[in-house]
Amino acid sequence: MIRAEGLTRKFGDVVAVEGLSFEVRKGEIVALLGPNGAGKTTTVRMLSCLIAPTAGRAWVDGHGIHEDPEEVRAVVGALTETPGLYKRLSAWHNLRFFAELYGVPDAGARIERYLRFFGLWERRDEPVATYSKGMRQKLALARALIHEPKVLLLDEPTAGLDPESARAVRDFIAELRSEGRAILLCTHNLPEAERVCDRIMLLKTRLIAEGTPEELKRRLFGTRVVVELANPAPELARDLDVPGVKALQVSQGRLYVEVEDPRRTNPILVRKLVELGAEIISVREEEATLEDVYHELMEEADAAG
Amino acid sequence: MRRVKVILAKEWSEALRIKMVLFSVAFLPLFMTGFATYLIWQGRALPPEAQAALLNTALMYFFILPVVIPLSIAAYSIVGEKEQGTLEPLLATPVRDWELFLGKALGPVIPGLILSWAAFGLFLAASAVILKGIPAGVLSLPWLLSIFALAPFLALFAVFVTMIVSSRTTDVRAAYQFSSLAILPALIPLFVYIGRLTAVNLVFVGIEAGIVIPLDAVTFGIAVRLFRREEILTRWK
Repeated sequence: MIRAEGLTRKFGDVVAVEGLSFEVRKGEIVALLGPNGAGKTTTVRMLSCLIAPTAGRAWVDGHGIHEDPEEVRAVVGALTETPGLYKRLSAWHNLRFFAELYGVPDAGARIERYLRFFGLWERRDEPVATYSKGMRQKLALARALIHEPKVLLLDEPTAGLDPESARAVRDFIAELRSEGRAILLCTHNLPEAERVCDRIMLLKTRLIAEGTPEELKRRLFGTRVVVELANPAPELARDLDVPGVKALQVSQGRLYVEVEDPRRTNPILVRKLVELGAEIISVREEEATLEDVYHELMEEADAAG
Repeated sequence: MRRVKVILAKEWSEALRIKMVLFSVAFLPLFMTGFATYLIWQGRALPPEAQAALLNTALMYFFILPVVIPLSIAAYSIVGEKEQGTLEPLLATPVRDWELFLGKALGPVIPGLILSWAAFGLFLAASAVILKGIPAGVLSLPWLLSIFALAPFLALFAVFVTMIVSSRTTDVRAAYQFSSLAILPALIPLFVYIGRLTAVNLVFVGIEAGIVIPLDAVTFGIAVRLFRREEILTRWK
């Protein structure tokens, strides 16, 4: 549904996005993670034909962003960084305007459906200026969905929402995936990305890494096994020789072991520990978080310049 | 044209909710009508020829009204969207540049014309009551053509120029200031009338139309070409 090949955008001498290639398939949610200025918004703007790339090409639902910008805009629903609503108009008027611009048939019923879903129906006739930040964000999301787009480009969809609303929106996004839409989600919220997205792309002008959250964690850290011991001894780390162990460390009564494949290594590890006289209280796996992955990769990118 | 109508309707919905715009749009026709009627009241005892001259002078106000009324809304049109943060979602829709410009131009021009013509009708009715009829030769065909056929094109020209300014400036105040210059070309026919450089006849109205209508088309084309989505989105802060 979305395919980018070597997308590059420069603003004068400043390179905002460089050689970005990726694909988002039908029914897939892909997160675009990166710090401020990493090129997330520029990427979304290029894909929604708001700005042209300096180099490279992209296709959205088969339409080229160079060749068919109007068709691309018709199939894309974009949630921009700021809600961008007409504050003097009501929620109903805002949605009506965009529904008509997209040529939505039976706009009234669809507007009602989204206003009810986002809990804005009772206040549909009030000016948006009177809405809270969270209500505006919900309305902006409704606007992005009003024409039932095949592709959604969402920039921080849960920003400003209370935990309950954020959860409802996340569930809703997951539901959109099951309807077969392709969703590119820009976010700073790492747990959200991990919870909702099928794949993650880390961007810092260039694409630093791409994969499922699990793949990224394993690729970087493997799996960490924590063994709680009744008699922790520092020499355990020295004497333990188990194939498949990448690193180990004894700290605060626990042995932290990084392994490549826990299914194969853990039984050998436990046997060796017992042989060395260790008294094991518990053994559990501890995975690195997406945040660990994010920071590690960003530091690597910084170091690489 | 469907999207032009949609933009037009949105512009009106928004304008109706801005008290300052409503005031500025309504005040001028009311003031002009009141002032012109006062002039006629003052000249009610003059001989018929003098009354006709006075009435002709007053008609000029209604020629310029449709040009002046839309400017405050037009100045806000593009830069206002940017200030509200609504331009990016708007440009992310399949709307074409020409549709956006035409919708936003017609938005202020149509009410400007309706109000001007309503004010003109009110003035004529008041004058007929005061003078017990309209003096002969006042409502000539060239005058009527000027007010009902030529003024809309002059108004469009002024609005297109104002919108070019609105899409090139970065704040509303600057747009308002520069837009006042857009009225100058519309004043040229008035200077010609006032200076009695030529008679208000069909030939003169025809020449004016021959200049203004193509000028509208050219200005519209320039306005659309100068509208750079990228520049507006990436450089305006």
